[in-house]
Amino acid sequence: MRVFFALGLVRAIIGGLIGAGIGMGLVAAIRLAAGLPAWNPAPATMVGTFTGLLGFLIGVGALSGWLRWVGGGKEDEQDARKSRLPDWTRYFSFDTNHKVIGIQYMVTSLIFMFFAGPLGIADRVKNMAPGPWVLDPGTYNSAISVHGITMLAVTLIGISGMMNYLLPLMIGARDMAFPRLNAFSYWVIPPAGILLVLSFFVGGHDTGWTAYPPLSVKAPLGMQFMLLGFYIAGLSSILGGVNLITTIFKMRAPGMGFFRMPVFVWSTLATAFLQMTFTQFVGMAFLMVALERVLGFGFFAPEKGGNVILYQHLFWFYSHPAVYIFVIPGLGVISEIVPVFSRKPLFGYKAVAISSPGIALGGSFVWGHHMFAAGIEDWLRIPFMFTTLLVAVPTGVKVFGWLSTMWLGKLRLATPFLFVLTAIVVFVVGGLTGVVQGIVPADLHITDTYWIVAHFHSTLFGGFVFPMMAAIYYWFPKVTGRMLRESLGKIHWALMSLGFLLLYGPMFVVGLLGMRRRIYDFDPSQPFQSWNIASAIGSGLVAISMLFLVANILLSVRRGALAPDNPWRSRTLEWQVASPPPEDNFEELPQVHDDPYGYGVAGSVHAVLPETGGHTGNR
Amino acid sequence: MNVVHSAHTDETPGLSRLYVGMLLFLLSESFLFGNLFWTYYYLKAKTPVWPPQDVVLELPLIALNTAILLLSSVTMQMAVNSAQRENRRATVRAMILTMLLGGVFLFIKGWEWMHVDFQPWDHAYGSVFFTLTGFHGLHVLAGLILVAGLTIRTIRVPEILPLHIEVGGLYWHFVDLVWIFVFTSLYIIR
Repeated sequence: MRVFFALGLVRAIIGGLIGAGIGMGLVAAIRLAAGLPAWNPAPATMVGTFTGLLGFLIGVGALSGWLRWVGGGKEDEQDARKSRLPDWTRYFSFDTNHKVIGIQYMVTSLIFMFFAGPLGIADRVKNMAPGPWVLDPGTYNSAISVHGITMLAVTLIGISGMMNYLLPLMIGARDMAFPRLNAFSYWVIPPAGILLVLSFFVGGHDTGWTAYPPLSVKAPLGMQFMLLGFYIAGLSSILGGVNLITTIFKMRAPGMGFFRMPVFVWSTLATAFLQMTFTQFVGMAFLMVALERVLGFGFFAPEKGGNVILYQHLFWFYSHPAVYIFVIPGLGVISEIVPVFSRKPLFGYKAVAISSPGIALGGSFVWGHHMFAAGIEDWLRIPFMFTTLLVAVPTGVKVFGWLSTMWLGKLRLATPFLFVLTAIVVFVVGGLTGVVQGIVPADLHITDTYWIVAHFHSTLFGGFVFPMMAAIYYWFPKVTGRMLRESLGKIHWALMSLGFLLLYGPMFVVGLLGMRRRIYDFDPSQPFQSWNIASAIGSGLVAISMLFLVANILLSVRRGALAPDNPWRSRTLEWQVASPPPEDNFEELPQVHDDPYGYGVAGSVHAVLPETGGHTGNR
Repeated sequence: MNVVHSAHTDETPGLSRLYVGMLLFLLSESFLFGNLFWTYYYLKAKTPVWPPQDVVLELPLIALNTAILLLSSVTMQMAVNSAQRENRRATVRAMILTMLLGGVFLFIKGWEWMHVDFQPWDHAYGSVFFTLTGFHGLHVLAGLILVAGLTIRTIRVPEILPLHIEVGGLYWHFVDLVWIFVFTSLYIIR
């Protein structure tokens, strides 16, 4: 019991509830004083959200470190109190170690994935037959909307987890540049996730994840929960991005020049830059909609001189770069895993490294292609078409780099590499269909059809889901000191790859035939139904495959085979320390000599570790 | 403001990480205001009469307010210089002066909010006006909290922290810089 109430999470929830109560009470008091009815859900929950967030952060102890610093107190008082608690409580408390935070992010991501996934599957089941069935239209609309926005949060949290855990280890640092800010960035995530989940239960919303006004201004209360929830998640993204870039600039080990960094670090640099800058746009855009809902502002209301298209500009100016935020870390994971399992140097290391910032830069000037059919100026269409097609170039550089690395390599088909192979195929499908969409006339035909749904799920599965699965199988031994089971892993891979093809292949077909996305019903006279049934079966297979992952993790985390320090014979720095890594990663900082991909090159050494006298060559 | 964990002090040579982190954060903040300026100029370009005819703003008063905010940047820089010369008394005095000037700026801004003859929900111009000045005001408030934290720390601990105060000063100057754009857009160009 004593331990239970010492947990940061428990204190945070209590603090959050108290904070939300105070905020809502305040609004009620002001309304009473102004002679209005005391209870109005929209303003009460809006203020309650922010006071609740503050209460949550105070409860978990996210602010106490800064306050102690201001007061001139000792830094390590809290650490002394914490050390009397069992070790597992660190994962439920405000802890500044980047490895703890990385695991917190990953587990949170998987938890919300198991909420958002079934919502998508429910919609696939509904689409097996035309007419009213299984779900009523309102629930159907809410399910797709909440599925979309929550999955985006899942993705943001998942990439943060990978980057937080791996980045300091890979560049030879003992921690992030700002450990306390790092923990703060994590602890705003649970309230954000709770709001996104709650949005489904307080009326839901029917706008999809894009929240276009005027529909989003009129949607039920769930809309507001979703807007503010994502706004708060964005805060985490912004602060996390600042922290990641500062870490890359300032915390590299001696000798770790920019062109000696692993490609995953380059990906992190590009991703963090996009996170830190563009997230401000979606944050403000969502907040503007919330202000319009609660206080009747008029940014997007034509009758008040506002402009609806303005919202789409602001929204897509973030949300297109956002898809690169989602996929670039995954592409970095692929670039790490391919050379290790091919036993060859990464082909065109510098080009592959530079292509991540290249994608980020190119992707910043393409947002208009989401609005070809929305009524933007005609002269804007052509430049946006060309910039869109240009992004395919740095992306293609990456794919050619991977294929050339595998060419004539000594491939070892272990589970992480199998997931990478699927990821490359799926990402190429997603990328090429994206090029088709970038062309204005084609886009006008397929806008808002299932083709679009199939396309962006292909990029996200190829750029995030499959690489994240590969990352889990690849780095699990490092994180826990135990191997995952290969047999279960291969079943997971086979079911998920097959499930993916069944789930999204048919969507391309029905999309081209003209089936509209986000619509409850479809025309039974069209040949949609059999494709939709196949798609629903595919979604079931993907879901079942995820159960194999959970079973594998639960079985292996305690009783799996003990992992050696470097089971995959990799050269990057995180594999040169013990599994799991010691508290401060490196006793003495490593000395870096060359890029990490010299597999099979005589005499090449990535780094020398003074503490063990070991180095990363000749493997 | 962030403090570096004492156990981890191995930085790549160059600017301090605190300084780099703040510069990156300010880049991020400039995107936030970029969003609001985009909104302002987009609506201005799409609207035949902008601002609406009955909108009257107190240009002289706000010009005075601008001068007050710019003066606070000067006093903040005095605090930074005193901190680098390890003069604690002068540092604290300059920071308190900065907070006073910032407080006066917010007070005048609040007075203007109460006395303009339109509301944010009247028309899109009102919405942008209040959101832009409101978000700038929130940033001044955040700057006040930041400077207050630095002041309390400097008073309570004998050791003086020139780097932290300089980085706090960066934020304060940024907020002033943003105000120059807000002032130019809302009050001069209109």
